[in-house]
Amino acid sequence: MNRPNAQGPLDRLRRIFFGDPARRFAWVSLLLTLSLAIAPTKDFFRQWRHYQRQYSKFVESQPDGRALRGRMASGIHQIWLPDLGVVDRCTTCHLGIAEPTLADAAVPQPFRAHPVIPHDAEAWGCVACHRGQGSATEVREAHESTVAWEQPILPVRFIQASCGSCHQDDLPQAPRLDRGRQLLARFDCTGCHKIAGIDRPAMLGPDLTDIGTKVSREWLYKWLKEPRTITDANGNQTVDGVDTGEPQMPTFRLSDVELRELSAYLNAQHAHTIQPYHFDPRVVAALSKRPDVADQGEARFRQMFCSSCHSLAVTRAGETTLIGGDIGPELTKIGSKVNPDWLVAWLRNPQQYLPHSQMPRYEWSDTDLYEVTRYMETKLTDPSLLSDVPKLGSPTKTEVDAGRKLFVEKGCASCHVIEGLAPQKDFGPDLSALGARNVSQLDFGPAKIPYTLIAYIQAKISNPRSVNPAGRMPQYHLDQTSLDDVTTALLSLTGPPATRGMEKLVVARPLAEFHPAGEFGKLYERYKCYACHKFNGFGGTLAPDLSYEGSRTTRQWLIQFMENPQTLRPTIVLRMPQFNMPENEAAIIADYLEMAMQSPAVNPAEDRKEFTPAMAAAGKELYEKKYQCQSCHTIGSAGGYVGPSLSNAGNWLTPGWIQAWLRNPQELVPGTIEPRQAFTQEEIQDLTAYLITLKQSGSFGNAAGASSREGTK
Amino acid sequence: MRAGALLFSAFLGFAMLPGCAHKAAPVKMDPLQNAYGTETDWNNSERIIPLNYQQAEGKRIFYEQCVWCHADQTPAGPSNRSNVTPAPPLWNDGATLNSLSDAFLEKFTAEGGRAMGKSSMMPPYGNTLTQSEIRALVAYARAIAAPPYGAPSRAGQEK
Repeated sequence: MNRPNAQGPLDRLRRIFFGDPARRFAWVSLLLTLSLAIAPTKDFFRQWRHYQRQYSKFVESQPDGRALRGRMASGIHQIWLPDLGVVDRCTTCHLGIAEPTLADAAVPQPFRAHPVIPHDAEAWGCVACHRGQGSATEVREAHESTVAWEQPILPVRFIQASCGSCHQDDLPQAPRLDRGRQLLARFDCTGCHKIAGIDRPAMLGPDLTDIGTKVSREWLYKWLKEPRTITDANGNQTVDGVDTGEPQMPTFRLSDVELRELSAYLNAQHAHTIQPYHFDPRVVAALSKRPDVADQGEARFRQMFCSSCHSLAVTRAGETTLIGGDIGPELTKIGSKVNPDWLVAWLRNPQQYLPHSQMPRYEWSDTDLYEVTRYMETKLTDPSLLSDVPKLGSPTKTEVDAGRKLFVEKGCASCHVIEGLAPQKDFGPDLSALGARNVSQLDFGPAKIPYTLIAYIQAKISNPRSVNPAGRMPQYHLDQTSLDDVTTALLSLTGPPATRGMEKLVVARPLAEFHPAGEFGKLYERYKCYACHKFNGFGGTLAPDLSYEGSRTTRQWLIQFMENPQTLRPTIVLRMPQFNMPENEAAIIADYLEMAMQSPAVNPAEDRKEFTPAMAAAGKELYEKKYQCQSCHTIGSAGGYVGPSLSNAGNWLTPGWIQAWLRNPQELVPGTIEPRQAFTQEEIQDLTAYLITLKQSGSFGNAAGASSREGTK
Repeated sequence: MRAGALLFSAFLGFAMLPGCAHKAAPVKMDPLQNAYGTETDWNNSERIIPLNYQQAEGKRIFYEQCVWCHADQTPAGPSNRSNVTPAPPLWNDGATLNSLSDAFLEKFTAEGGRAMGKSSMMPPYGNTLTQSEIRALVAYARAIAAPPYGAPSRAGQEK
């Protein structure tokens, strides 16, 4: 009963479709036609066609829609650059990329114009900077990490990483990348990792050979447990972001037993004992009873501009900030840290304790030294600093031995020199190609984070144990901006260039070293001039570049400035320290600068030109009326303070320098902010004649403010 | 029978084909996550403005060259603005700058105040900065302008 019924409709269908040969033929033909239509239909519904249709619709709403429509070509667009290995079809959907009228943020993606950049997309393609899969024509395939193609689009926030893959030199146009590289160097990442383009400095962490003579075992315990010793009013341990608050020493998350062992081992490091310095008894007798000795020391500390390199935490209105430079360590609690005898010995000769230290060797009078050390020992303290440290007592042999083993296991010798242990090299993995890693090559461990290279890098830095509970990587406390900066610098490490064409594009980091010999060389090392100043491309950026200082300044001004580097500008915090330099040393430095640090653009013959009072009067008129130089420069007490005060220009600057400067300031100091004016030769002569008449009697020291301002760039 | 089933399923499959061309979900774009650089609104420290490359370049050049007179606070402390008369406009002063065209601002920056019949205190930057750098400065001014800057073409459209 059931069978015929069940087969009934099917039989009917069979009859309809295949009842006779004509029907059979008709149906099969229809089927064939339809199957042939599959390909064009599928093509019609491709994503990129959808976007091209949308773009056509979108441009009609634009004022210049007709022109935009006219320039639009349909079909797949491709940038093909065989030299660079580029096959980019991104412009198939990103149709407005070269249309300046579509630059507005209101234009929906993928149609918005590309912002103006120095590179032309036609010459570089898209993937070289943005990553992703250039040959894909589907949104997901092009942008995301897929099975077939793992490199996803780089979020624009990190795009400067791509600049860094070729530009290995400093690149001011990519500030995030530059700062990230600086942070990689500052936090001594090269201690454990190989990082292309960042040199491993001679000294990373401090030499620990005699650490037992400097600090107590309790302080070591505290430091190893939590190196951030400053807390703000809210109890937070980072102050003012990473720039100054985060110590270079990371957190190793050690157990109490480990802390006891390591502190014991370090406490036992005293190969050279300190010879306590004997102050002149008369100085001690005179000063020790004075109640204001620490205040005197504080005033001296300020006068010597210790804060140009060292910061102190200052709490104002409940907010703690660090004030001062970051070349040397922050000193807020130094009095609770170091042994007083050590402090005196250190200040007298830092290199005796730490040969690689950048701290200059000052010339001290007993009075100054006594006052400043009293200030540091009594005012820069925190009585509760070590209150949470258990009583440790003297280290036992077992503890010391265990500490030594731990020191090696934790890789401490990667950054620190210590007696009896060889330096550890390549303790951590090579990071030279980290930025090109695929996600499948990374071990995320138990971490609950997005499966991206960026999330992985950030977790490895700020919470390494979340990724690998047994890992050796210590923990860094960076704020989000700094973390993003470091991530950008790490993403830029994409290993060797993929093609020969790419290889040719790499801009290498210039290598510069400047270590003069002779008497000047010794003073250069003693005062560590290069910690702040640049010499022929080598040195710090805090203070002015001195490569052409000999052309700029007169010898006498230089000597007086070095003996007494005072400034008329109280607003500037970071200034040249007062070294108490003896006159003969100042003369040696001045002679060297005058002789060796010369600019080819400055012609000494121009110093000897004749400048008449009439020219000076004309120059004054130009200065005050036509060019109104007083908007930026001060003479006497009137004028602006963008440029240096010119009150003493006649004693300070050479006429040859002034003339070359007025012709083209950027030729003498690249990047200086004085705009290059179109002075005539006569105007230059007149202005020079005027400027060299400006002299302050008895004082040469007026230009430090200028120096500091330039140094803030 | 089997041929019929085959035919039917082929037909179904074909009917479903257009569905395969799934509409791509719009790529999520957080403006700050996707900004080359950022700047804090000068008048509202909680508002962060995303900057593209050109605007970020403008910001960099501004903080090197211009901040001394065209802002009230500078990286080195107080501003030189009070020493200059007439006081130069703040670089985010939309009320003053929005009505001036890009071309005018670029020319003013390049040639200086004297050439434009204004104060000599504004020096010419045409020999110091390139045209693209000056253009970047203007783009930066537009990005941080308060009240906000509306590009002329769009402003015209709204009306």
